Amino acid sequence: MSVPTQPPTPRPDDELWVEGADWESVVDAVDDERLTVNMGPQHPSTHGVLRLLLELDGEIVEKLQPLIGYLHTGIEKNAEYRAWHQGPTFFTRMDYVAPLYNEHAFCLAVEKLLDIRVPERAEVARIILLEFNRIASHLIWLATGGMELGATTVMTMGFGLREHILDLFESQSGLRMNHAFFRPGGIANDLTDDFEARCEALLEMIPPKMRDFEDLLRRNPIFNDRLRDVGYIDADTCLAYGVTGPILRAAGVPWDLRKTQPYGGYERYDFEVPTSDLADCWGRFEVRVAEIDQSMRIIRQALDQLPAGRVMVEDKHIAWPSQQSLGADGVGNDPEYIRHIMGESMEALINHFKLVTQGFTVPPGQVYLPVESPRGELGYAVTSTGTNKPYRVHVREPSFVNLQAADVMSRGGSVSDVIVIVASLDPIMGGVDR
Amino acid sequence: MSDQSPAAEPLAETPAQPDPAHAPATIAGTVGPPLSHEALTLAVLERFPNVRTHVHRGELTFFVAPEQVVDLLTFCRDADEFDCALLSDLSGVHFPAGEHVIERQVSTTGWPEHRVSRDVGVVEVLYVLRSITRNHWFRVSVAVSDVEGESRLPTVTHLFPTANFHEREVFDMFGVVFDGHPNLERILMPEDWLGHPHRKDYPLGGVDITYKNDKFIPSPHERDLREIVE
Repeated sequence: MSVPTQPPTPRPDDELWVEGADWESVVDAVDDERLTVNMGPQHPSTHGVLRLLLELDGEIVEKLQPLIGYLHTGIEKNAEYRAWHQGPTFFTRMDYVAPLYNEHAFCLAVEKLLDIRVPERAEVARIILLEFNRIASHLIWLATGGMELGATTVMTMGFGLREHILDLFESQSGLRMNHAFFRPGGIANDLTDDFEARCEALLEMIPPKMRDFEDLLRRNPIFNDRLRDVGYIDADTCLAYGVTGPILRAAGVPWDLRKTQPYGGYERYDFEVPTSDLADCWGRFEVRVAEIDQSMRIIRQALDQLPAGRVMVEDKHIAWPSQQSLGADGVGNDPEYIRHIMGESMEALINHFKLVTQGFTVPPGQVYLPVESPRGELGYAVTSTGTNKPYRVHVREPSFVNLQAADVMSRGGSVSDVIVIVASLDPIMGGVDR
Repeated sequence: MSDQSPAAEPLAETPAQPDPAHAPATIAGTVGPPLSHEALTLAVLERFPNVRTHVHRGELTFFVAPEQVVDLLTFCRDADEFDCALLSDLSGVHFPAGEHVIERQVSTTGWPEHRVSRDVGVVEVLYVLRSITRNHWFRVSVAVSDVEGESRLPTVTHLFPTANFHEREVFDMFGVVFDGHPNLERILMPEDWLGHPHRKDYPLGGVDITYKNDKFIPSPHERDLREIVE
């Protein structure tokens, strides 16, 4: 194994390191007033495998250090060894609560490098699914956030409603999560005939359920006490720490990339960017609940203008043969297409074979493509050297960046506030560790 | 993040605040319209005459020398017409010296071979700067040597606290040392990991696994692919 070797860097003396075995020496190093507490990575309220190193003075948090990397899977490195069209399958597994956003940002970046625009039907279909995904993601946030406060009813309600949205995704992509449904050049399959009816049914189902949520939470004294005036972070501190998304909007900044730098057809929709001036956890609750309404507003407009037509670009060098959807009879291939490539056209067969085995090449260049994910600015910095594989894909994950602000938000608060603050940041560890 | 305050400091009542002199206005577009690529380029070239610029697919990139990074980023953050309060992204790309070859892979029926030849190996560090108030953004690209010991850049964590995690990630993945960083430790890989995985000379695979009959699978460069296919 030709791995370059490098001696471990010496640690500064004033650093505290907790690695299980040296717990005794760490405890000895702490003076009488301060207590070092290790929280996670297997703690039910740390959103997966987030590990926090807390320094406490009694109940008061003096310092919080997020230790991450437990879920690192090397997705960016793996993608360098796979063709461009295989990328969505990897990137959809990063932020698994909002998988379509990863696919969307990657596909938009590849399309920008290729200088193509997807057909309008694919564009509108993407936006409908993305906004449903945003609702599902915010519901997960409500559900897990409620569970961490001890409100298991909120948890079951949130996950219950999300299941119906996942039913929609399953009906279109075949998978409830990690869809790999968006491909460079369009979407994998055309929408099913009952797509619009399913969306309409969901749009009718969600508002009354959201009213139930608000009835349950808005005047709940425990929920109010735990969220109000907790985790304060103002707009300037947000920007200094790179915090975007609902947290920045809860600090009064109406910054939403869908509005300020429209991409993928968002310029055609009329919606508002909800903000709050509270800049605390309650403000983030308000913003996210209001965003669910705005998402439904976008979906209604998109359903009205969903055109007929192709869902993949015409260019046969790029377009994945997406006709090969699973039919109602359970037979996997489109007989018309098979007849064409097997019986009529040798060139079509060669093209199919080369596209499926080698993929398409992308002109050299570098792009950075940011989209507004439910957690903030999700950016794909893609470098191509003109081959059929990405030379480098770097993902600017909002969860990863936002987590840095947990320290300034928690200082001076109590340990129980840390739970609420981490919940209000809504980090998804698959995105943090990649 | 917390490492910026000394350990002996008493309990901080208020969180560490950035310099209030550069506080942005809170509404997008209130300070002024976004600057065009030409205006941004002119303003930068006036102060930094040897900066190279490039526009690709509508994205503006400034190529600067390592010793200019802090000056340029300070200028972009503080100048009223730039007002880039947000460092959106910081990432690295490795371009190794010598021949970089992606070999034809038997197991996948022949992906085309790819060869690039370079004299000097570099790690390109990319800063994406964004202005919330003016709604423009651009990229600053710095090339540093990829040789261990020479791969150094000054930190920008004192300008943008958000660079903390990003610089740790670039150090972890590419081995670029950021001088002055408050806590330059590995962030995603384990603390005792050897090598920097995102460098192109670091192979994929090649890690011992303890399942599948406990068989060691060598890295792709050392694998006889025909053997595995059979």
